[in-house]
Parts: sequence; structure tokens; C-alpha cells
Amino acid sequence: MSQINRIKGGLIDRSQKLEFRFNGRVFHGHQGDTLASALLANGQRLVGRSFKYHRPRGIFTAGSEEPNALVQLRSGAFQEPNTRATVAQLFDGLEATSQNHIGSLDFDLMAAVDLMSPFLSAGFYYKTFMWPKAFWEKLYEPIIRKSAGLGSLSMREDPDVYDKGFLHCDILIIGAGPAGLSAALSAGRAGVRVILADEDFVLGGRLNSETFVVDGQPGGDWAARALAELASLPNVRIMARTTIWGAYDHGVFGALERRTDHLAQSAGHPRQILWRVTAKRSILAAGSIERPIAFGNNDRPGIMLAGAVRTYVNRFGVAPGKQVTVFTNNDDGWRTATDLAQKGVRISAIVDSRDIAPLTSLPDAEIVMGGRVVDTAGRKGISTCTLANGQKIKTDCLAVSGGWSPNVHLTCHQRGRPEWQSDIAAFVPGQNLPANMAVVGTANGLLTLGEALRSGHQIAEGTVSDLGFTAARHSAPVADNEASGVSAFWYVGESRKRAWLDFQNDVTVKDVKLAYAEGFRSVEHLKRYTTLGMATDQGKTANIPALAIMAECTGKTIPETGTTIFRPPYTPVPIGALAGRSRGKDFRPYRLTPSHKWAKQNGASFVEVGNWLRAQWYARAGEKGWRNSVDREVTMTRNSVGICDVTTLGKIDIQGRDAAQFLNRVYTNAFLKLPVGRVRYGLMLREDGIAYDDGTTARLGENHYVMTTTTANAGLVFQRLEFARQCLFPGLDVHLISVTDGWAQFAIAGPNSRKLVQKVVDGLDMSNEAFPFMACAETTVFGGTKARLFRISFSGEMAYEIAVPARLGNSMMQGLMEAGAKFDAVAYGTEALGVMRIEKGHAAGNELNGQTTALDLGLGGFMSKKKDYIGKTLSERAELTHEDAMRLVGFRPVERSKPLVAGAHFIAQGQEANTENDEGWMSSVAFSPTLGHSIGLGFIRRGHVRMGEVVTAYSPARGGNIAVEIVSPHFIDPEGGRQRG
Amino acid sequence: MAEFNLRAEPFLGGFSHDYGGAMVEEVTDLSLISIAQPLNGRAALAKAVQSGLGCTLPAPGSSAVAENGDLRLLCLGMDSFLVINSGGMSYDRLAAKLDGAGYTTDQSDNWVALELSGTLAYAILERLCPIDLHPDVFPIGAFARTSIEHLNSIVLRQREDRFLLLCASSSATSFLHALTGSAVLIGLK
Repeated sequence: MSQINRIKGGLIDRSQKLEFRFNGRVFHGHQGDTLASALLANGQRLVGRSFKYHRPRGIFTAGSEEPNALVQLRSGAFQEPNTRATVAQLFDGLEATSQNHIGSLDFDLMAAVDLMSPFLSAGFYYKTFMWPKAFWEKLYEPIIRKSAGLGSLSMREDPDVYDKGFLHCDILIIGAGPAGLSAALSAGRAGVRVILADEDFVLGGRLNSETFVVDGQPGGDWAARALAELASLPNVRIMARTTIWGAYDHGVFGALERRTDHLAQSAGHPRQILWRVTAKRSILAAGSIERPIAFGNNDRPGIMLAGAVRTYVNRFGVAPGKQVTVFTNNDDGWRTATDLAQKGVRISAIVDSRDIAPLTSLPDAEIVMGGRVVDTAGRKGISTCTLANGQKIKTDCLAVSGGWSPNVHLTCHQRGRPEWQSDIAAFVPGQNLPANMAVVGTANGLLTLGEALRSGHQIAEGTVSDLGFTAARHSAPVADNEASGVSAFWYVGESRKRAWLDFQNDVTVKDVKLAYAEGFRSVEHLKRYTTLGMATDQGKTANIPALAIMAECTGKTIPETGTTIFRPPYTPVPIGALAGRSRGKDFRPYRLTPSHKWAKQNGASFVEVGNWLRAQWYARAGEKGWRNSVDREVTMTRNSVGICDVTTLGKIDIQGRDAAQFLNRVYTNAFLKLPVGRVRYGLMLREDGIAYDDGTTARLGENHYVMTTTTANAGLVFQRLEFARQCLFPGLDVHLISVTDGWAQFAIAGPNSRKLVQKVVDGLDMSNEAFPFMACAETTVFGGTKARLFRISFSGEMAYEIAVPARLGNSMMQGLMEAGAKFDAVAYGTEALGVMRIEKGHAAGNELNGQTTALDLGLGGFMSKKKDYIGKTLSERAELTHEDAMRLVGFRPVERSKPLVAGAHFIAQGQEANTENDEGWMSSVAFSPTLGHSIGLGFIRRGHVRMGEVVTAYSPARGGNIAVEIVSPHFIDPEGGRQRG
Repeated sequence: MAEFNLRAEPFLGGFSHDYGGAMVEEVTDLSLISIAQPLNGRAALAKAVQSGLGCTLPAPGSSAVAENGDLRLLCLGMDSFLVINSGGMSYDRLAAKLDGAGYTTDQSDNWVALELSGTLAYAILERLCPIDLHPDVFPIGAFARTSIEHLNSIVLRQREDRFLLLCASSSATSFLHALTGSAVLIGLK
């Protein structure tokens, strides 16, 4: 098919012919076309099927407000559903398919649904599918799910890449129509940093769609010259294809820049970029959206908004029909007739709902003042329309204008409420705009070109001067103020046929009235009940007429009825763009331990611990599974010596004259008298008395300490200590700095640990007398490398931790393994670490879960009675100290071969497993290779006085019930002889 | 003592790549030292900095230069400073120069340092860094603690088109990936 509706003129490049496919059929268009304009040029009026009734639908608008012409673009993994044909820039090779039909677009089998429309009124799904109850899950839900949505996803990973970024400017100008361009010129010439963003790929807004004259030039030419000047200014950034979709606090805006949507392939470049724009000031020049008038069968292909018809004629050189009728309630609709007539398109009739004198006369066009269209006919496109007086008019395009609604959306994103302006029958931005935002042009209800240009100029000059710049001496661009009279007229009451308000959701005038009849009064309820204003277009063309009808039903005025709240995004933002490059393994940054390289070379499997990747175990050849590796690591450590990278534990360097006093206040146990060269275990509580972290603190000098925290809480502890330092105890001289990443730290545990440490440490006496359990020292290793040495143990074995500067960490691991070879030293990962700490009965993250107290944890002895500390008062609450409190104890299966399950709840034997009988839970379990059976730690009421009692560990989802015996949590060396050496 | 020599390995293996328009390089010879000002000890610290390092104590958010430009002292907070030293001065020597007027901590291995330079350095950072790096707002010598790809960072403008970027050393790989990823996404190779 050739481009039968292509006429002369427009901003398209006719020298570039583009081939595209719609539903497999080959069409041609030109550079500068949208998919919609190219389809119309080729006479393709039917482009999709409606959501609910599968009615034939065509192109309704020429912009992002399009409710009807939603198509799938591209194919395979690149397929994207629900794309508006009216904003999809045409490119050579574009593939598009229509949506929401079974069978072909022309013969949609689901069209039969339209015959059942009397049963499918507003909220029908709330009233049906109620019975029989059993049908819901198996029958109704699958049917509803299948019917929901329009297009379909490829179900494959999106192969495109996306990015995000941050922009800053003095003034963000949203919209590059006449008002936006006028503002940008004033701001740009004054030298302020300007970002000018517009969703279109050709900037200029309505200037490209109209035949206006600005400063004596055709409007489109003026826009092009203005843009050329702006592009030459280094302080102005012009962003085409960029939608400012959200206005947030502190002058932050969301912007979506479509970089390659207009290209056949992205070639590795980001398809879209999500920008966060921070602007000192913003000028909203978002224009306005024309709204329809509702009348019977007003949804047929060929029925379009009048302004859109002008756009297709003036900008794209496409006549949407050969016999066009205009139905309007305002002066602007008449311009469609005159523009089209000038281009040689025949106007069949102009029907104006106002009973006033005609604005103009056109040869061959019938003028009907005070007229109304009550019905239309034409199976897959309009062929005739019927007026209230019974007259039938042959027409293949009905251009409808119900007036223009300012685009107030961004003014409402921070709960601003628009105000009704009756002379233009529209909402305009209210008083409570987002901070530092001004609104210009038609977005502010100034519906004529002269006013739009003037307001853009004036507001920008004021803004420039507010920012401390001097406005350049330029006058505002000049244009006439065209006729813009309007008389509110929302729907044709005489129509007996269904009259659509929301085309995308198939909501009719009758549906709104029904919602009212069923008791829905608030527009927010109306929206939810009827689905009006939902989905991709968010009711941009539907909301105002619908709430006008609601107002009529309730007998209130439109402003009394109010609007629903506009929320971001203004137009859809793909999930891919929101994710940006944070996908797959780049979902978040990760941290590597200093010995990561060595671990990778030595068979380590890694586990995510917070953001860290830690070696979980080191597999050796012949091992059949992780348990083999972990059992070996535990056994070899307990029998000789094991080495583990424990760098991930938080390390905080603490200095100051009052550092000891500070520690004494943040830990529950005493720290004032910790000698230099010694380490002490410490427990911290939250203000509410709950335990939140534990660790050790070593005194390296008179005023110098280094604290370790758990891996998970490293950041939190630092934050809380800073808070304590700055806010609770500002009078103390104490200073904190994280050294977690600065030191590579290795635990060396096992009966041969001393021998190994002695081999690497330079000349330090490692005897029990000289360097006992809980000693520390600043020393050197491997012949002069500075190091810190601590004799502390998490495994229960005799153990040390050695820290060296992080850059030496990988080499240190190698050195330790070489030095330990004689003792058959083994590297162990987090699993073996976990097994050994459970065997020893040490609490870790599973136990310090934010609900447990020091008493629960069996650490009551660490709560000093002689001093105050953070959390002390509230830890003494009766609720936390009563006899029936939880206690951390050990558990072992009565039948030793059975594995325990973490998360199991404890129920007294013979009792029913319910919440009332719940006595506690299993927090950690492991297979102990040392004992040869499964062991667990857990909390149970009065556990410390129930040793030997057997209870049921209940875990219906995982493994059922197991009889377990309450035992001491210290499965290994309860007296601590091993660690003391 | 075991016969083994420990070997320091740069966090990113000394990464260096010229993207044409932008260069990303790991800086491996910086020493970083934090200084905390003792309570009520500002005057003494200022005096020690002046006599030991030869510069004035900067105000929060600003920096000072000493040692012929080899040493930059950033004031990160009311009582917190960071020395970035490319002149090879050791931690012990610098600490000695302050003569106990400030609490010092060696931070050299806590941070990985990358230098990003070239005419497109700004475009690369635009995709990563939430703060305004326009030269009018963020001139040469300006620095900020900020976040780059969710990583706490320090950005210092050394020249019109050269930035020093610091990030926690454990995240060095992710940090580099963020920068090189940006370079690729703005079309560089």
C-alpha cells in the first residue's frame, strides 16, 4: 500500500524513505514520522483492540497522552508491549504488532465480548466470580489473569542496557514548546545553567503543529532558530526525547532520556538513561492536553482529537481523512477546519456545541451551531456521524475538541492541588507548587501563543534575577493571541449509545453514573471502582470529563468534586531504566577479602555476607560435597591448626584521653581498668536494653584502642558509637575511625597455632606467660612487616589473630600456609567457622537477632552493676528479667543420627504444636564432626535450669518433629582449657 | 621466623587504561593519614600543622596544600582531617611532625585511589556521582565525600579535567567496574 494519505508539507524528510512492518505487512514512511503518522499516511486506521470489549480502536492523539494506539514494538527478547504509536519515532526496519486480540486484528474472536457488555459494567468483577467459592482459584483467577493487560512480555531477559546519572542546573525548563523556548532563551542568554528537556524528538511543541507566526516567522522556523541559538550556548543543555516524569523534594526531578529507541539497534549503548536532575529552580512549560467530548460510539477509528488532526496535517504531512468533520465546544476546534481546508482537505461539517455565531465559513462545509454528535457508524472506522437533529453526515475522520487541560501533573507531585479556572473550564496549577517551581504558558492556563511566549520570557527573567544573574536585554518573542473561547461541554446527554470517557480502560459515561448510583462519591473511589484513569495513559484525556460528570451526578461543582492525585511517573518508566546497570551480579557492589585471590586459586566457594564475598569452604580433589570439605576443615583445625580470613569483622580505631571512659559507657562490662597489651570481650546493648553486638577491644596504648565488631553490624556499631561520641558524650575526648579495610586479619586456631604464630612473628615471646590468652601487641611479622597480634578465640581452640596492612593480605595468607605446611595447616571458611563457634556455644548473628537480651544469651555476668552504660536502665525492665525468660542453651537429638533444623520451635513433649505451647526456637544448627552428630543452639524458656529435659523441636515445613535434649551450649571444652593453652 | 617475604599487591593490580578522552589509573603510591583533633585542641593542632606541615588548618569542607603540592590536607568534619600525601612521607614521619597535637591513624590501606582524567572524565562521573562537579561549583582543589555507585567515596578535583577518587579498598573491584562501566556506556573503549 502506498502512502495514500500523505499530503504536502510537514517536518518530515521525504528524501529518506523508511520501511516498517505492522502485523507483518510492509509499509513505508519517512524520517521524522512517528509510527502513528506513518500508519495514518498509509490509511491504516485500525491499530488495536480495546482492553475490555475488544472494540476496534484507532489513533486518537498525537502525543504521549494516547489511550488507544498501544502496540508491541520489535520482536524476540527486544519485544516491548504497550508502546504508544504516537510517540514511537519511525526507523527503517521497525516491527510493530497490534495487541489484545485472538485471531487477526481485523477479525478478533474476542470481539464477541462486546455483545456481553451489559453484563460487564463498572465493577462487574467485584460482583461476579463470587460463587461457587471453589471456582475462584482454579477457574476465575486464571481467566482474569489471562484477560488482564494488553500486550505480552517476551519472557526473556531484556538484552538492552540501561544507565542512570545525575545532572545539575540553575534552571530546569520542562517542555520545549513556545513558552519553554521563550523561557530558555531568556535564561540561556543571561548565562545561567539551563537544562531544557522535552519528551518529543523534534522540539518546539505546538509550534510544529500549528500555522502560527512568531516574530514574523512561521512558528516552526522560529522554534528551529531558537533551538540553534540555545545549542550554541555552553551553559544550556538541550535534552530531546527526555521526559521529566517526577518532581521530588529539594528540587530533584526524575528524567527519562530515550537514547536509542529511535534506532534499529542500540549497538551496546544504553537504550535509556534515567537521570536525577537537581535544579535550583524549575520552570514548568509542559503545555496542555486536549480533551474529548463523550458521545455515542465515540471510540471508532477515525475519531480523533482536533489538535492531533492538525498535528498530523501540519507536522507530518498526513491527512487523517478525506472528509473531515469537526465537533467542538471551543474556538480552537475551528482552527482544525481552517488548517485542513488550507491544505486541501475537505471539511464536511463543523459542529459547535455553542449557540453562537460561526467563527468562519468554509466552502462546502456545513456549519451546525448549537449542534451535537449523538452517534457514529462504521465497523472498523467511522463512516458517518449522526447529529442530535437526526442529520447524518458522511465522514471518515471526526475531529473532536472539548477544550484544553493544562498539564498540571508535576505541580501535584508533592501534594499540590490544582485550582479550577472557569473561563477556560480547566484546572490550573494551585498555589502550593513544589518549592522553587514556576509555571508558564498553557500549563498555567495561558492558552494563547502570545501569552505563552510572554509568560515564558517574563518568568525566566524573574528567575534569573532571583538567582543573582542579570537578565540579557531582550524582549519577549511576539505572536498574536489567537481566539480561544470555550464553553464547558462534557458529554452529549441525548446519546443513547455507549459514550466512552476512558478509552484505555473502556470506561463509559454510564459507568461513572453507575458508580455514583452505587454509592461512590469520592473521585478516588470512582477511579478504583471503574478503573478510570489507570494504566499507561493515566487518564490524561479522560479524567476531567469524567469528574465533570461525577460533579453533575452529585450536584456539586467541579472544584468541589476535586481531582484524583497525580503521582509520578508522568508517563511510563521501564523497569529496566529504573534498574539501570544494577542487574545480575552488578545488582550491588561487593567487597573482597584481602586473601580473595588466594582463596579463588585454592578451591574456595564464596558466600555473600553483607556485601562481602567470603570463602565458605575450600574444596579439595575427591571431596564429594561441601560437608566433606567443612568436616575436614573443622577436624584439621581442632587437631592441628587452621587459618581463616576474618578481615570482614568491623575494626574501629579509638583514640583519645577519655577513650577508656567512653568504652566503659558503651559496653555493658567494665573497661576502665583494661591494661595496655590486653584484650577484653565486650557486649553492647541498644537503648532499649536489647543486645545488639559483641566483640573484643584491645588496648594498644594508653589512649589507643582497637575494637572489633561482628561483620554484619560493623557499620551500625560505628554509627552508634559516633552518635554516642557526638551527641551523648560530647565532653569526652574520644575519636573513632574505621580501619576495617586497612588491616587484613587472619585467625589462626588449633593446638598448633602457637607454633605457627611463633614462626611468623619476629622475635616475640609467645609463651603462655609472656603472651597469655587475651593478650595483644603491635609487632612485626616475616622480617619487619608491621602487624598487630591478638590472642583471642572464636573457635574455642588456642587461637591468635594477626593483622597486617591490607595490601599484604593475599601474600600473608600464602605465607601463613607455607609456614603452617609443617603442621598440615588448613584454610577454613565461614562454614567451618560456624560449626566451631556452635560447638563452642558462642552467640553470633542468629542469636543476636535484635530480640534477645544479655540474660537470654547467658551473658548476664557481663552486665556490670557498678557502672552505667547504654541500655542499662531499660535492660532492667521486668519484662526482660523475669524468671520465665528465654535462655540460650544447646540441643542435641535424642536419636543422634537425626539432623536438627534451624528455625524449629520447641514444644513440650506430648503437647499440641500451637502458639500457646511455643517455648522457644532453634537459632543455629550444625553437624559437629567432633561429636559425630548434629548439634544446635537455641532459646527456650528457663533453659538454664532444664538441662537434660527432652522437648520436641517442631518444624512442619522442614523435617517434622524431632525429640531433642537440652544441654549446655558449650559442646566443646566447656572449661575453656584449650583456648587458655 | 619463616623464610617468606611478604609482597604488597595493589588493590587493582596497578590498573591503567586509556580510553581515548579519558584515562583511568590506579594510584598506588599515596599515603593517607587521618588526623583527629583532640577535644579543645584546635589551636594546638593548627600550630602543629603550621609548623610541621607548613599550611593552615582548613575549615570543614575545604583543603590546604603543603610540601610543594605533594601533600593535601582535607578537613572532612569539625574535628577530622585526612592527609593525602604523594611525596613518600611515611606515616611515622608525619605523625612525628604533629608531635602529639592530633590523633593519627594510617589510612593508606583503607582506601583504593583512582585517578580519572581527560576531557570526558566529567561525562563519566555524571553517570556515577550525585554531586555537582561543574567547574564553577567544584573548582580545582574542591573535594567532597559522596557516594559513587552506592560506595562511600571521596572525590577531589586535582585539575580542570583530573579527579582523584578514593573508595574503601575492599570495594576496589566494584569501584573500578563502576568507572570502567561508565566509560564504556558513554561510548569509550
